[in-house]
Amino acid sequence: MPTLAIRLQRYQPEQDNAPHWQDFRVEYDDSTSVLDALEQIKAGQDSSLSYRWSCRMAICGSCGVMVNGVPKLGCKTFLRDYPKGLQLAPLGNFPVEKDLIVDMSRFLDHLTAIKPYLIAEAAPPSQPHRQTPAQLARYKQFSNCINCGLCYAACPQFGLKPDFLGPAAIALAHRYNLDSRDSGKAERMAQLNSDNGVWGCTFVGYCSTVCPKGVDPAAAVNQGKIASTLDGVIQWFKPAKEQSK
Amino acid sequence: MSRKPYQPPMPASWWLKHPAYRFYMLREATVLPLLFFVASLLYGLYALGQGEASWLQYLSWLQQPWVIALNSLALVASLFHAWTFFVLFPQVMPLRLGSRTLPAWLMVSAQWAGVLLVFVALWWLLGGLDAHQ
Repeated sequence: MPTLAIRLQRYQPEQDNAPHWQDFRVEYDDSTSVLDALEQIKAGQDSSLSYRWSCRMAICGSCGVMVNGVPKLGCKTFLRDYPKGLQLAPLGNFPVEKDLIVDMSRFLDHLTAIKPYLIAEAAPPSQPHRQTPAQLARYKQFSNCINCGLCYAACPQFGLKPDFLGPAAIALAHRYNLDSRDSGKAERMAQLNSDNGVWGCTFVGYCSTVCPKGVDPAAAVNQGKIASTLDGVIQWFKPAKEQSK
Repeated sequence: MSRKPYQPPMPASWWLKHPAYRFYMLREATVLPLLFFVASLLYGLYALGQGEASWLQYLSWLQQPWVIALNSLALVASLFHAWTFFVLFPQVMPLRLGSRTLPAWLMVSAQWAGVLLVFVALWWLLGGLDAHQ
């Protein structure tokens, strides 16, 4: 079986003050993913290696890593595509906890802040809340997000200003704002209208390139700018009492 | 055991790391030659207000090779920026006809057709090649 050189960024907080590189060689064939390679290293070469994973099929969003500087899912990236070898590092723009594990709490805080759930105006109806295929089509693409955080690793605005809500959180806010069953848009707009909301984005667009699920968060964020502008215009014409709500 | 997360630095050279970032910076940098174009346009307006001698001086200033070069660069930069803008437009404002979204290529082509229309209209308005005779 052929082997491939893998250079791993290691960081062990008990003994290191900064990350360093460590070289490994792994056996691989056409079906060996980056995640398989990490498992091979951990099982046979260095059991102290730490990384996150769960489903192995691009659903759970746990195994995001930088592959040659590009944010990728380890389970969806194959060694056969890197004949010259590869460098693996933890996802960019996040604090590194250990080896390939990053602290995603910033991203999770931003996700919570935009209230990513259906907010119903009245009590839940006794009948099913039906939706037409056309109503579903409006937001379906943005609901495919698996919260892997690759788009945050790709976003220089998040790197420069970690308070920026970021691609996935804004895409999810947009997804619920577009949902015909939801009436919580007003509660989300304050977040989206702020400097750390949609206006923190300068449309680098790389988040959409790296998204493994085709969500196109850059589209959501920039459609959010139109929604935010309309929201602002509507606020001007509302009576003062309504505005303070 | 206490945690000791390592915060990776974000150096000023971050945009050199990847072609996507370099392309983004190039797109944003198109504003620089356009700034020169706007300045020379304002200079022209000012010269027009100062009388004929000043206007003629402005016209001869415009014909200097370096001014022509910078203004040509501004034209190329604005066309390049327009291209990036047109390509991004269908992402920002997807247009729906009934339940269908208009294909991106159609929206991009329509915008270029608009540019062509403006060029032709301006050409006609300025009298084509005879403008300066």
